[in-house]
Amino acid sequence: MIHQSDEGPGPATPGDAIKIRARGINVFYGAKQALFDVSLDVPEKSVTALIGPSGCGKSTFLRCINRMNDTIAGTRVEGRVELDGEDVNDRSIDPVVLRARVGMVFQKPNPFPKTIYENVAYGPRIHGIATTKPELDAIVEKSLKRAGLWSEVADRLQQPGTGLSGGQQQRLVIARAIAVSPEVILMDEPCSALDPIATARIEELIDELRNQYCIVIVTHSMAQAARVSQKTAFFHMGKLVEAGATGDIFTNPRDGRTQDYITGRFG
Amino acid sequence: MLTWVALLALALFSGATFFAARRKALASVGGRPVGLHSLPGYYGGYVAIWVAIPAALVLLAAAGFGGRLEAGLLRATPAPSVQALDAQQRDVFFDDAVSLSEGRQASESVYEGALKSALDSAVARARHLKSQITYGALASALALACAGAGFAFPRIRPDFRARNRVEGWIAGLFILCSVTAVLTTVGIVGSLIWESWRFFQSVSPIDFLFGMDWDPQIAMRADQYASSGAFGAVPLFIGTFLIMIIAMLVAAPVGLFSAIYLSEYASPLARAVVKPLLEILAGVPTVVYGFFAALTVGPLFREFFNGIGALLIGGGLDGLGQYLSQVQNQMALVAGAVMGVMLIPFVSSLSDDIINAVPQSLRDGSLAMGATRSETVKKVVLPAALPGIMAALLLAVSRAVGETMIVTMAAGLQAKATINPLDTVTTVTVQIVTLLTGDQEFDSPKTLAAFGLGLTLFAVTLTLNIIALRIVQKYREQYD
Amino acid sequence: MTETSLSAAQTLRKTVEARLKVRHAQETRFRAYGLVAIFIALSFLAVLLGRIVTQGYSTFVEYSLTVPVYIDPARVDPADISGANFDLMIADQVLARLGIKDDDFGTQSSKVMDILSNDLGFQLLEKVKASPALIGKTVTVTGPVRADGALYYKGEIKRSTPEDERKLDNAQLGWLDRMKATGMVSSGFNSGFLTRSDSTEPEQAGVWGAIVGSTMMLLVTALLAVPIGVLAATYLEEFAARNRWTDIIEVNINNLAAVPSIVYGLLGLAVFINWLHVPRSSPLLGGLVLALMALPTVIIATRSALKAVPPSIREAALGVGASKTQTVFHHVLPLAMPGVMTGAILSMAHALGETAPLLMIGMVSFVPGVPEGFTGAATVLPVQVFIWENASERAFHERTAGAIMVLLVFMIVMNLAAILLRRRFERRW
Ligand SMILES: Nc1ncnc2c1ncn2[C@@H]1O[C@H](COP(=O)(O)OP(=O)(O)OP(=O)(O)O)[C@@H](O)[C@H]1O
Ligand SMILES: [Mg+2]
Repeated sequence: MIHQSDEGPGPATPGDAIKIRARGINVFYGAKQALFDVSLDVPEKSVTALIGPSGCGKSTFLRCINRMNDTIAGTRVEGRVELDGEDVNDRSIDPVVLRARVGMVFQKPNPFPKTIYENVAYGPRIHGIATTKPELDAIVEKSLKRAGLWSEVADRLQQPGTGLSGGQQQRLVIARAIAVSPEVILMDEPCSALDPIATARIEELIDELRNQYCIVIVTHSMAQAARVSQKTAFFHMGKLVEAGATGDIFTNPRDGRTQDYITGRFG
Repeated sequence: MLTWVALLALALFSGATFFAARRKALASVGGRPVGLHSLPGYYGGYVAIWVAIPAALVLLAAAGFGGRLEAGLLRATPAPSVQALDAQQRDVFFDDAVSLSEGRQASESVYEGALKSALDSAVARARHLKSQITYGALASALALACAGAGFAFPRIRPDFRARNRVEGWIAGLFILCSVTAVLTTVGIVGSLIWESWRFFQSVSPIDFLFGMDWDPQIAMRADQYASSGAFGAVPLFIGTFLIMIIAMLVAAPVGLFSAIYLSEYASPLARAVVKPLLEILAGVPTVVYGFFAALTVGPLFREFFNGIGALLIGGGLDGLGQYLSQVQNQMALVAGAVMGVMLIPFVSSLSDDIINAVPQSLRDGSLAMGATRSETVKKVVLPAALPGIMAALLLAVSRAVGETMIVTMAAGLQAKATINPLDTVTTVTVQIVTLLTGDQEFDSPKTLAAFGLGLTLFAVTLTLNIIALRIVQKYREQYD
Repeated sequence: MTETSLSAAQTLRKTVEARLKVRHAQETRFRAYGLVAIFIALSFLAVLLGRIVTQGYSTFVEYSLTVPVYIDPARVDPADISGANFDLMIADQVLARLGIKDDDFGTQSSKVMDILSNDLGFQLLEKVKASPALIGKTVTVTGPVRADGALYYKGEIKRSTPEDERKLDNAQLGWLDRMKATGMVSSGFNSGFLTRSDSTEPEQAGVWGAIVGSTMMLLVTALLAVPIGVLAATYLEEFAARNRWTDIIEVNINNLAAVPSIVYGLLGLAVFINWLHVPRSSPLLGGLVLALMALPTVIIATRSALKAVPPSIREAALGVGASKTQTVFHHVLPLAMPGVMTGAILSMAHALGETAPLLMIGMVSFVPGVPEGFTGAATVLPVQVFIWENASERAFHERTAGAIMVLLVFMIVMNLAAILLRRRFERRW
């Protein structure tokens, strides 16, 4: 029933390399089960979109990858999530290291109430990646440039990050995430709080970042999934219904529910 | 007593008019309430209000101010022998007349000759006045109640807007209640300023605020009124400050770390157990803390320091040893430490609120970056909560400054300008209590000084509160 | 490309892992600080309460002496019963029972009187006064041992202390021992502590007067603060338009809630006593002052209870044609009532424990009985604690802790009532 296909259109052909391999994931919030036996492969250096109606467990799946579910009391995760072949839930894996390797961007931009500079420098500082001021400056500049924000904030790095516009804040948060050079970036509806122009900028950014990172993005917009992703996975009521190359899913879904969802019949 | 009976009778009468008016309203439309502008009860209420309120006000006024009116009238016509008395003796004379007229004990003053007969006639006159006032009030209350009924009854017609009238009265009552809070403030500010002003007539505010000597007891004699040297409040300010600092040194870290642990680490169960326990600590009356400080902590600390002193005597630190072995129960440290304990739940519950107001998304953002919980708290949550926490600490400072019982029971009375926590100091609140307990003339600078201190205390705590509440409000708005 | 990024990934891991130990140690330490803070706070609570119970529980144990006394007609003049020395009669009786002969100066009997409460003599006097026919008969009286004697029984006064450093000499201690051994003195629950009022003699002092005083004062406070506070809050929350005036009132209320309580005492002194001539030390006066003090808290609690009532209820009521006043009184207020009552009870509990403002308005005076009405002199529980704490007799310290226990029981009952109310009615919609 679960169809896997790793080829996709798009400029850079994703390699065969699988970055994240999830097998038989069940997640329980207390007594309530949110994910049922989900297995999914996420390829390296490409964008994978998770789509599905609200409450179907997309965010929950995302949070399994960087173990953010651990921070919610009463949550239980079963199954294996492998990052480069290592089980992230293994006791030898420290969530601190895991989360340094797997960055995350949230639905609502959440810059810390600090300066723009300090926001971006946050990760490098706590992880001890940059020890000197010039090193840190370089990282901040590089990250902001890569997030496409540098030109807009270069002259006001010492102003609070919360003073930026919504779209700028979201790019700041992305810059913050990539400042530690993670291997994977998880994005949970990164554009849902933004206007179309800001959304377009973020989409461009995602497209650029794809060359270097493995990106998993949750989105409610079919068009966005079609635009930015190479692989798409459709979730429904806690189950993974179908996954495959984005082109295939949108033009030729195998499952009736996928068909219904992408044509807007429910969701 | 008579007032209570009259009020009860009034209530019954007003209740009766309520039903009568309702009946009349219904009758006016032939028993069909749809014909009335308002529900029948409103017509009843309208009349009942007019019957009860003015009459009740008169009765209460008579009960509250009748005595003063009586005394005033009595004084208006003094006998010649009484006129010859000096002002103070005259006051005693009239007070005695009133007391005797009510069958109470008079003062120990001895009245002879003309004064004795003047007293007797004054007593008779007081009795007479009292009954005049009482029955006058009763009569006018009765008249007012009837007039109210006479005024309100004829207005009952089907199209009369009884509901709007009654709701108007209710609105008036509402506003009156809301204004009570403002009146309280006016009362506080007014009385403090008025009495302080009288105090500053005899002691200059400069001497009071910047003087280094506090010894109000020696300024008791009339010829020393102007010797304002005894009313220099600086030692009290220093003592208050010292105890406040000690209290905050205990309360701020313990309260803050408790709040952090409770909001960031504790399981729901642990929170459910610990929070009510801290609330108990907050609910313990301050007089209990005072008792604890005076009879448990004080002796304990004294013995501890005396013990250390005994060890040091004769050694290289002989001087310190000598000093420590003579430390008393009433050291600033004792009152400060116990006050700190009292403030722990205050700081922790305020900080807990503040910390919980920091959006979860910031924590998630930090944790998702790979920060540990403590890094998240130290680098994201606390900086975000900082203004709120500062405000909470300011409120705690204001509490510490205004706290009375612990210091009254555990700090000393000696006004010393010292910052040595092992020394005895006194505070503003202790001095207010000391100056005002015990019987003394109200108008002496000694008692008025308490109002000067009260005004200072009020001004300081009010400033702290206003600043703190402002910050908290801004802070809340930021995350709403 | 793959190679470089792979190595970059490995560098990242290495860097992060290098500091991991330090960071986790910091984490553990930080967590420990929190735990220690909570532990400190809770142990303070335990020590505070434990200390009061250990100091105060003995208050509730009373040692009372039962002795039959022959009312010697030779020593009581029926025309002047009050003139007779009943204390001495009792002391002689006790001496006789202990088999001790008194000397001519009455040294022994006065030493006996030192260990017996004068309450015994007083009881005898009352009995004989009530029926003079008792003269010439034998009357049995029961009354407490004097406080120092009780302290000896309770182990507070020890034989090991040198004789000249304690209040009772060896002979008196011996008598006390024998009185207990022979069953003249028996111990029991000290109900007198709860049924008597203040007294200068520790063994006769009780908290009843203070309990009655506190009750009367709280009654005044509640009758004033709760209705006024609820109406004011209702007005501000439901009716008043948001404008400068209501803003001022609101800021005013918030600030009043943080004014030191002693300032309310000054207000009471200046306005209620000196200006309005409300009788000093009276429950009425104390109630007035505490009502003003409690008002802001009641208002704030009521407002938050009203805020918790969902707007849909107001809309529904207004929708069926109820007026604003009807909506508020028939629908919103009843729903908010549990919250309002909880807030009211809690602020009354707070008022019950308040002491400082009452000191300003003359409530520190010695009141050896229940207050005579709302305008009579009264004392209240926390002030009773303060007064006894100041007393020099050691026996009063125990009573202070005992009075605190009574006070805390009242506060706990009120807080429990508030908690139950909150639990019972929590969120009905
Ligand atoms: N912290 C939590 N506690 C309990 N249940 C939760 C929690 N978080 C999510 N759930 C439940 O788990 C299910 C999946 O939630 P999830 O947030 O993963 O959905 P989603 O697909 O991301 O939805 P959306 O598109 O609305 O964000 C939902 O039914 C939700 O109610
Ligand atoms: Mg989601």
